[in-house]
Amino acid sequence: MATATPTAERAAPARRAGLLRRLSRSEHAVGWAFATPATVLIGVFGLLPILWSLLLSFQKSDLLTPETPWVGLANYRQIPGDPTFRLAIEHTIVYTVLFVPLTMAVGLLIAVALNRKVRGITIYRTAAYVTMAVSTINEAIIFMWLFEPSFGIVNAALHAVGLPQGQWLSSPDQALYVIVAMTVWGWTGFAVVIYLAALQGVPQELQEAAAIDGAKPVTIFRTITLPLLSPASLFLAVWLTINALQLFDEVYLSTRGGPLHATTVVVYYLFDQAFQQFNAGYAAALAYVLFMVILVITYIQFRVGNRFVHYNR
Amino acid sequence: MRRPSPWHLVLIPITFILLVPFFWMLITSLETEAETRRFPPVLWPASPQWHNYVTALNAAPFARFMVNSAVVAIVVVVANLVLCSLAGYAFARLRFLGNGALFAVLMATLMVPFQVTMIPEFLIVKWTGTNIWSQLGIDHLGALIVPNMATAFGIFLLRQFFLTIPVELEEAARIDGTSRLGVLFKIVLPLSMPALATLAALTFLDSWNSFLWPLIVINTESHMTLPLGLTTFQGSHDTNWNLLMAGNVFSLLPMLLVFFAAQRYFVRSVAATGLKG
Amino acid sequence: MAEVEYRKVTKRYPNGVEALKEFDLLVADGEFVILVGPSGCGKSTALRMLAGLDKPTSGDILVGGEVVTRQGPGERDIAMVFQNYALYPHMSVYKNLAYGLRQRKTAKHEIDRRVQEIGGILGITELLDRKPAQLSGGQRQRVAMGRALVREPQAFLLDEPLSNLDAKLRGQVRAELKRIHQRLGITSIYVTHDQVEAMTLADRICVMNQGEVQQLGAPQDVYEHPANMFVAGFMGSPAMNLVPATVSGGQVVLGEHPLRPAPAGHPEVVVGIRPECLHITSTGAGIRATVDFHEPLGSHALVHCLVGQGTVGVVEHTAGSVVVQAGADISPRPGDRLTLGVDPKDVYLFDADTGEALGEAERERVIVSGVEKAQ
Repeated sequence: MATATPTAERAAPARRAGLLRRLSRSEHAVGWAFATPATVLIGVFGLLPILWSLLLSFQKSDLLTPETPWVGLANYRQIPGDPTFRLAIEHTIVYTVLFVPLTMAVGLLIAVALNRKVRGITIYRTAAYVTMAVSTINEAIIFMWLFEPSFGIVNAALHAVGLPQGQWLSSPDQALYVIVAMTVWGWTGFAVVIYLAALQGVPQELQEAAAIDGAKPVTIFRTITLPLLSPASLFLAVWLTINALQLFDEVYLSTRGGPLHATTVVVYYLFDQAFQQFNAGYAAALAYVLFMVILVITYIQFRVGNRFVHYNR
Repeated sequence: MRRPSPWHLVLIPITFILLVPFFWMLITSLETEAETRRFPPVLWPASPQWHNYVTALNAAPFARFMVNSAVVAIVVVVANLVLCSLAGYAFARLRFLGNGALFAVLMATLMVPFQVTMIPEFLIVKWTGTNIWSQLGIDHLGALIVPNMATAFGIFLLRQFFLTIPVELEEAARIDGTSRLGVLFKIVLPLSMPALATLAALTFLDSWNSFLWPLIVINTESHMTLPLGLTTFQGSHDTNWNLLMAGNVFSLLPMLLVFFAAQRYFVRSVAATGLKG
Repeated sequence: MAEVEYRKVTKRYPNGVEALKEFDLLVADGEFVILVGPSGCGKSTALRMLAGLDKPTSGDILVGGEVVTRQGPGERDIAMVFQNYALYPHMSVYKNLAYGLRQRKTAKHEIDRRVQEIGGILGITELLDRKPAQLSGGQRQRVAMGRALVREPQAFLLDEPLSNLDAKLRGQVRAELKRIHQRLGITSIYVTHDQVEAMTLADRICVMNQGEVQQLGAPQDVYEHPANMFVAGFMGSPAMNLVPATVSGGQVVLGEHPLRPAPAGHPEVVVGIRPECLHITSTGAGIRATVDFHEPLGSHALVHCLVGQGTVGVVEHTAGSVVVQAGADISPRPGDRLTLGVDPKDVYLFDADTGEALGEAERERVIVSGVEKAQ
């Protein structure tokens, strides 16, 4: 390592025996020795790809031929006029706008229900947490079967109560909503854990004080509990949004972006461009655009969110 | 006897709705193929078809997938614990040249989504496979392991925890003649079990359920992990819902067992990231 | 065991603060030296550099005649007791005691022998299987000392080891520390801000302020002959009264009372009198004072008084306040006028500018002549 050289230079050759001992005693050497393995790995597989990706976004690459001609801004110029990408953006926005608030609402309601001492509460809680252990692929396969148009139990339930049945994942109008449903279910456990932990951090005395002040339970929840949960809400909003913008697994498994591009979201399109159409340069440009969008949205969420967040410190 | 709380009337329906997908998966996995093709659906199989599981296991190398998933997850978890401990300790306690800048750069990579890095990562893995060691290349387990052996998140998590340990303990050990490495392994790490458990739980979950990266770098069935293997199984049996559900149950089982065994750690870990985030 | 030496040790932090300035100290083999001073005086820095936890900016540190300045803390064969004890929370008391020996690859039976021996000396044998969290504050303190002693180190460093104990326990452990040192005779360097600990425990004390040594000597010596105002004010409890006084007619005058002859060439002096050396007289000759308030303490009482420099017109110029240690039987009320008597040999003088002690030779003569007269 470059930083070890000053020590090495100072050591006289005659005292080489002591060099190793002195090196091992130097905090610089020990520090670098400890940090290097992880740093090299993250450098090669994290940092280098970030820069390479930027380079790639100005090139034409098919991932196979070693020649990657320089195309300047062509990849970025292509983005605004790409009709499929525009669809992907629309679908991603619709998906995010539905998925994030729904997951938070479901998570909050269940967490509130679970935040009490009744017999068997640990069993109820485990049941709510367990979707955390379910992989996206397991989740997608189960929901494909639940929403199967001909034999699925959802259509059976609708049929039983006399409601019209859907074509679900086969329908361009409904497929995205089915994906919203499966991912909300899959993230419920996570949201419940976050909200339940936050609820348990709300001091009981505050709610009791409000009750003595004459507030009704619903009012207490709205005016005391909910504001005190706002740090958890902000975290969930940011975290779920980042994940929503990166939706891929469920789409790949259940619809491959179809039918008629109805579920083509940004990351699916990016994957398709890179590894199925072999337009890696264009995909890299898309990835950088996505990155910037995530940065901007996260920044806005924190700025706006901080106005409503009460840190109880 | 105390009267049961009325809250059970709320909690039981909620729990039921959350668990319906699991119940329906189990029921379907025990039906005959004909029973899966009825409308309205058969709510309980006439006789449970346990051999569906045998058929599913024979139709795809699930055991292989599971071993691959386990090997990848375990090696990745152990590597992260060791490497992130070392680096986290260096950043927490050692004043070495450039530590501030290096730490800042590593943390910056945390903000970048995987989609940005995956294409060059694919190219890097392809290159190491051809030029360094084939086991690290495309279509080998090494490609799933090596890039994930250390994470900036893990370094950050452990560094923050190490900073909370009283520095006098480390000084006392050093006066007692312990090396820096000894201080880390004999004093700091035994006191950091909660943080290490958190890192282990989150890393395991992440590795076990990872899909996009294996999809990109693994092609051969014998090197697939569970999610990817299940996807190919689904592709070839997309109308045999009973077999698909049997395969699904089978692939869910290990993670569920790990989850129930270590639920405390998973829950605490997720809650901790949320409260600190 | 070995002697310990600091040679012109300076510690300058990157922000420019000099925690220690050209610090010189020679601690003899088996000696008990206490570094005492207010927080930030450099005493802890000096100790940490001896331990090897901090590196000096310049100067050298020697243990047993060998320069150890560049050695790591583990190579110096010294032991340290930390203020908050720093017991390894995940190890039993036995393992805490054995840890340092295990690091030095001591044989198992030897470790066991020494742990049992120290456990016996400190009376913690029955605690050996417990974890630190299960111990009381006093027990933890013993374990911390045991962990250092068991190593039989060249030098024994203690960083405010009693400050986390309550007052009663502190007295007990202080006595015990003294007993242990007398028994084992290990070279000890002890840091504290408590002058009672310094007085009772040390062979020699080193009074420090702002990174510099103010005075070095035997406790009684330092107490009786403070080199300057800082030492005089720091050593002794309650603290010595320090009041600016006037010089007139070759005498130092306080509260209209001539105290003792003034040293030549010092127009501005500060008078130092210990509270126990002041007494309330009825003879009429003495320092005029006005009672400010009164603190009864059971066995005795402290009377806080204002003393005047003299009256100019109708305005009384207050020179300052003095504390008088009086019997428990009196209960003066605020505003009462008193006359305070003091023996000239108990009056210290300091230069108002430099703070240096003045006229110590004359004071000595007074003491000697007083003794002669008594005989």
